[in-house]
Amino acid sequence: MNKHTDKGRDSENKDDEKNWLEWLVFAVSLLLLLGIFGYLGYQVKTYDPTDPKVFAKARHDPSEEAPNRYQVTITNKGGTTAEEVISEFILYSNGEEKEKSELQIAFSPKDSKREGWVTFSGEPAASDSVVARVKSFKKP
Amino acid sequence: MIGNRPVSKTLKEYARGITGGLLFSFPLLYTMEVWWAGFSATPLQLLMLVVVTYLLLLGYNRYAGMRPGVSWRSVMIDSVEEMGIGLVLSFAVLLVLNRIQLTDMVLSSEMMGKVIIEAMVVSIGVSIGTAQLGSDIEEEDNEKLEEEKRPGRLGMIVLAFCGALLIGGNVAPTEEVVMLAVEAEPVHILLMALASLLLSVVVVYFSDFKGTAAKVSDDLLFWLTFDTCVSYLVALLASAFALWFFGRFDNVSFWTAFSQTIVLGVLSSLGASAGRLLIK
Repeated sequence: MNKHTDKGRDSENKDDEKNWLEWLVFAVSLLLLLGIFGYLGYQVKTYDPTDPKVFAKARHDPSEEAPNRYQVTITNKGGTTAEEVISEFILYSNGEEKEKSELQIAFSPKDSKREGWVTFSGEPAASDSVVARVKSFKKP
Repeated sequence: MIGNRPVSKTLKEYARGITGGLLFSFPLLYTMEVWWAGFSATPLQLLMLVVVTYLLLLGYNRYAGMRPGVSWRSVMIDSVEEMGIGLVLSFAVLLVLNRIQLTDMVLSSEMMGKVIIEAMVVSIGVSIGTAQLGSDIEEEDNEKLEEEKRPGRLGMIVLAFCGALLIGGNVAPTEEVVMLAVEAEPVHILLMALASLLLSVVVVYFSDFKGTAAKVSDDLLFWLTFDTCVSYLVALLASAFALWFFGRFDNVSFWTAFSQTIVLGVLSSLGASAGRLLIK
């Protein structure tokens, strides 16, 4: 850090002297920076700018107020971020499509998970399954 | 070598640095476009940002705030310290703001991107805060110091770049710059460019030349024009760099990219001319 606040500026060498605390902060900072460079260097080397690969999953997660509620996970396994991801969830009953629900999230970064919930009307017992799919997304 | 500088003095400097770091970077820590840039930027862009920030810190620490007598070794060590403090502060603030979660995949690219981008801004703030906030030196010493550290032309360019990035960088990631640029007619862009130049002339004249006009009266016009041009060009360069980094030049026409640079240049030019005076 800047040492212009010292008195005795006549001694230039004194400016270069550092106490144990400054050396400690420097050592930790250097380790952090080297870590960042190592991490970024590795990322640059392995960077694969493939299109986003976004998929949605839904699992039954009832609450007291919403017994037919599903917890939704949007995962991006591609190499880049997806923006404005719209997912669609279709509830089937006796093999027939009964109800649709939609979830929109602003961003799905690569290697990330986003969680949300969708609810359907009616009793859970009357439904068979929920099919989840990502309807659309764009590149930022 | 371990010197005998009092630890209390060091702690005071760190406190100043942390205050400055937060003071200058809070607007960006609270801006969602910057978080988004954290996961949209490529690893190479992040690497370049870290290198450019380190070079800026070297330049700032060399030409402002420190005595000319201080060795390059010290300048390099101080710059590393400032980046380390920036990284820790950025991580802590983003954690408190719930922008990153420890429960996430450890070292996810999203988390690292956010922390690295914000840390670069914080570290510049730390550097300026340490140099500018408060002072232990007496007034007489202060005057001598001001005299000693009056930077040359290269120093002024470095400081202008720091000032432009500091002021323009706060606005560069926002959608408003794109909106202003695409909705402006060519005449508005021209007026913005002229306004930026006028602001630069006024600031450069009343700050750098006032009082010294008698000494440089022969060359006043030349130096005023030269300084204004350099100041504005540096501001445009800093604007273009910031806009490119935040992906504002992706898939847009040359005119749109140019307009955005001029729009941001209004702020950056003030940062380059006035900002460099505040932070030197």
